[in-house]
Amino acid sequence: MSYRPPLTRTWWLKNNAFKAYMLRELTALPLLFFLLCLAIGLYSLGQGEQHWQHWQTVMHNPLVLLINAVAFAASLFHAWTFFQLFPRVMPIRLGGTTVPAAALVAGQWAGVVSVFALVAWLFWG
Amino acid sequence: MKLDITILRYLPEQAAEPFSQTYSVPYDASTSVLDALTYIKEELDPTLSYRWSCRMAICGSCGMMINGKPILGCNVFLRDYAKTGMLIEPLAHFPVERDLIIDMESFLTHLEAVKPYLINKKAQGVQTFEPHVQTPQQMDKYQQFSNCINCGLCYSACPQFGLNPEFIGPAALTLAHRYNLDSRDQGQAERMPMINSEEGAWSCTFVGYCSEVCPKQVDPAAAVNQSKVTSATDLLLSLLGGRS
Repeated sequence: MSYRPPLTRTWWLKNNAFKAYMLRELTALPLLFFLLCLAIGLYSLGQGEQHWQHWQTVMHNPLVLLINAVAFAASLFHAWTFFQLFPRVMPIRLGGTTVPAAALVAGQWAGVVSVFALVAWLFWG
Repeated sequence: MKLDITILRYLPEQAAEPFSQTYSVPYDASTSVLDALTYIKEELDPTLSYRWSCRMAICGSCGMMINGKPILGCNVFLRDYAKTGMLIEPLAHFPVERDLIIDMESFLTHLEAVKPYLINKKAQGVQTFEPHVQTPQQMDKYQQFSNCINCGLCYSACPQFGLNPEFIGPAALTLAHRYNLDSRDQGQAERMPMINSEEGAWSCTFVGYCSEVCPKQVDPAAAVNQSKVTSATDLLLSLLGGRS
């Protein structure tokens, strides 16, 4: 007669590693909101000026701005966790030696910075 | 110095549910949790059951939850719990047989399923024995993943295994990956259906706690997620008709 302890819905509150994991996964929700905004924006653009103006007004709503700011922070946090995991999932070997994890992480951040620079140049350059 | 140790006990012939029991154990700077359990069994309560063997984090027998963390009892000292107190429970996500003794059957079944041995077609019916030559670089690819001692801590750290005991799990997938990376092995094609399956590598969501608790720094989370790359490559090759 063996006993199987039940796994409750609050299993992830048991330790900090699980909480950090759930926080990482939770970043998907504000990002989903941002993607919905983006999709509706593209749809509005196709529907004519009135729709587009209305969408822009909604986008300037403080609550929408706040959620999108959270989404931006969440995407950076998720990137931070993802970049750290990347060297473990795809270790890169050059000439028999493994490329240091720090170099791979730095390379990914360099990619982020270059995307930011490209976007800044496109919109404000 | 004395420390109060609470142990989650389970005596199926006495009670259907587990219950807590606290023991006061004397300790010094060198008293391990395993030493404390031995003291309890010899001096306080001979009915206490637990597994152990080597006392030096090699055999992997004395895995248990200490304050909610999977750990080897021989690998941790009472002195580190003077402030927090200590609750010892059997390893999580496994059926409990008695006190700290868990049923590892599901773990062993998963280990067996990944064919954790060298599969070499040339070796079939071979008459002359030649060494399997391997360079240090070739060995370096898998060596870290071969340090597993089958203690099961990673399964107790894995919520995916807790939610679905059919999940092949960290240690077994790591071992599969270890043999797939071995230059002497030709068994990858035999292991891929299991790795590709619903219960294989893709059930892992990279919680990563398995690697944190591993007493041998095997990094099973890395191995399992490297298997996803292997699995995706395998799928691509099979779609292109190039699978061996």
